[in-house]
Amino acid sequence: MGAQSDGWRMDRRKFLRSTATAAGGLGLASCAGWTTPGAKLGANDPNNPNIITVWFWDDSLQFAVDAFHKSQNKVKVYFQKIGFDDAHQKLLTSFAAGAGAPDVCSLEIGLIGGFTGRGGLVDLRKPPFDADQFKDDIVEYKWIQGSSADGRLVAMPWDIGPAGLWYRADLLGEAGFDTDPGKMAARIQKWDDWFQLAEDLKKKTGGKTALFADSFNDVLIPMIEQQGHGWFDGNKLMFVQKATEPLKAALRLHQQKLDANIQWWGAEWSTGLRRNAFAAMGIASWMQGGLTQDQPQTIGKWRVIPAPEGDFNWGGSFMAIPEQSTKKAAAWEFLKYVCCSVEGQNAIFKASGIFPAYKPAWKDPIYDAPVEFYGGQRTYRLYTEIAGGVPANVVHRSDRLASDIINNEITKVRNQNVDPAAAMQAAQAEALDRINGIVA
Amino acid sequence: MAQGTLDARAGRPAAKLSTMQQVRRSLWPYLFIAPFFILFAIFGLFPYLYAFLLSFQEWDGISPSRWVGLENYSTLMSDAVWWKALYNSVWLLVVTSINLVIAFALAFILNSGLVRFKDIYRTAFFMPIVASSVAIALVFTTLFGLNYGLVNYVLGLVGLGPIDWLQDARWAKPAVALVVIWRYFGWNTVIYLAGLQSISTDLYEAARVDGARWRDIFFHITLPLMRPTITFTVILSIIGALQLFEEPLMLFGGTASTSPGGTDRSALTVLVYLYSTAFQYVEFGYAAAMSVALFLVIVVFSFLYYRFLGSASEA
Repeated sequence: MGAQSDGWRMDRRKFLRSTATAAGGLGLASCAGWTTPGAKLGANDPNNPNIITVWFWDDSLQFAVDAFHKSQNKVKVYFQKIGFDDAHQKLLTSFAAGAGAPDVCSLEIGLIGGFTGRGGLVDLRKPPFDADQFKDDIVEYKWIQGSSADGRLVAMPWDIGPAGLWYRADLLGEAGFDTDPGKMAARIQKWDDWFQLAEDLKKKTGGKTALFADSFNDVLIPMIEQQGHGWFDGNKLMFVQKATEPLKAALRLHQQKLDANIQWWGAEWSTGLRRNAFAAMGIASWMQGGLTQDQPQTIGKWRVIPAPEGDFNWGGSFMAIPEQSTKKAAAWEFLKYVCCSVEGQNAIFKASGIFPAYKPAWKDPIYDAPVEFYGGQRTYRLYTEIAGGVPANVVHRSDRLASDIINNEITKVRNQNVDPAAAMQAAQAEALDRINGIVA
Repeated sequence: MAQGTLDARAGRPAAKLSTMQQVRRSLWPYLFIAPFFILFAIFGLFPYLYAFLLSFQEWDGISPSRWVGLENYSTLMSDAVWWKALYNSVWLLVVTSINLVIAFALAFILNSGLVRFKDIYRTAFFMPIVASSVAIALVFTTLFGLNYGLVNYVLGLVGLGPIDWLQDARWAKPAVALVVIWRYFGWNTVIYLAGLQSISTDLYEAARVDGARWRDIFFHITLPLMRPTITFTVILSIIGALQLFEEPLMLFGGTASTSPGGTDRSALTVLVYLYSTAFQYVEFGYAAAMSVALFLVIVVFSFLYYRFLGSASEA
């Protein structure tokens, strides 16, 4: 071929020069990654029994770590902020690989079943931990959730998510309702009272403001969680028993357009909140932190009442010590401080609103003080009362798979108007087929 | 071989090398290519073989594994969710291959000299690939929002009703397809552009001298010479589309949806199902069986393409 497209022709010198620069740059870049900026403990020394590695997915743990370091000199904590999914999956792979687990790990309620039901975590009731000394001081349903079916406590309760019905006093006030929490709680004694309020609000605002964003979230979840978290009673699958009636209610509300048809946990929800598309929600105490940051214009406008016909909890985490850890004594010191001491629990609560599972912490005067976020309502005391009323189950190892199966059917009810009873039967059948070791 | 030729060119008769020297001479090439093969053996071959063996076992990562033979495969064959996921993946493969046509058209335009600032376009088209998945997820879930999304707003301007992209089972796959096409057409454009640029302009000149028109040139010169490039991109697309993971997960997994794959699992792809099975349901053996099955599906599709439409077939 004649003159091939000349293109570029690099002479050897230019080539060598650019390669050397690239190599040098790479070398510098890799060096930069080796030092961690910040005043926190930079790395763990595997030989020192008093430096422990702790995994958590939020910066807020730093408050507890700082308080712990101040309270004693012996144990030092190397806090690794690990993403929420990774905190569970990386933990799982470290169990499979036999190495790489931290000394203290954090587990969330939705994923705890896979760990209580499987193993890899130390039984904290055994010596030298003797966690039973704290049993009466910890919220009962959390203790059960952190336990295995055969009674081992493998995950220490850390925080809880006492939940209720939150409403906007400004929006409901404008629509002519009495927004005093005491009066509202007296008005909402049954779920039908709440649904009636939804209808009245729709009429009063001409459809502009609904009572809640999505009935399949704000109504369905409380009605199900009121019966205790999880889809199993021992090995018995409880889809039909727990979810059929709540689903019927949620579908009815959705079809009557009594909700704003806005999906939770997305950009739509934030925009909807800002545009006053909905005036209430069913959610847990930890929402306060997020709303304070993202929706500061609503501070002071929220009020909370307990959910009708039963209290419910939503969310909450645990801390555990992997069997792999070689520093269990030091790990237990930290775990005791963060989960079972008044100072540890309140250090985080005061900084981030993460609600203690350790009951003695609730004696602090801050729990009786009026809270600005809730317009002066003494909501923290209300949360402690709610926490006393939540039922509990041991979480099953296949909880996650069961959740995905039933949630799939729930999406069909919501978006394709499938009959709730039929959907729950279908979910039950699918789960019985797919999951081993469970019964109808 | 090469040594003999070299010596011959230098004018000397080919000297006979001792065995030791022969071994040392032929050793160097192997040493140079060894790093790749060592890394491949550790990070590529070993995991493949391990996964293959794992597919015949049942393992939850903590308890010891249990040999179950072909049980995972027989469960897989009767798993309705698997077949749905496979159907979704193949559907996405077929629809997202439109991005190849778009990419070819764009590459042709850029190469034809009709546009100036070629490099700026090329960079711009390539950007989506480099963009962070988290950012893409945030932007597209906002764009596709039912009540406040930009896409529905634009549809409203032309009189079309709002579409519940993320909740409606009929629109879930198109939503994923749109994101995938947007993300990968730039990659293919760049590859096609490189291919087009390697065709000598002499051929075009000769053809024009002979009186050929644009259409003839395109179908009888450009396309045939682009065959290898097109085969390359199609095979990559087959592999990539059947392994779609990030885009379906962004829009319909994690916190974006209560159930992976959205309403009625309409956007559940094989890899999302595999990932859930392995890391959320903690069934590593079953997930390994899925990965082997997916591998076979990809091999079959690639082979079918190559046999009937690729370089191996008649023009």
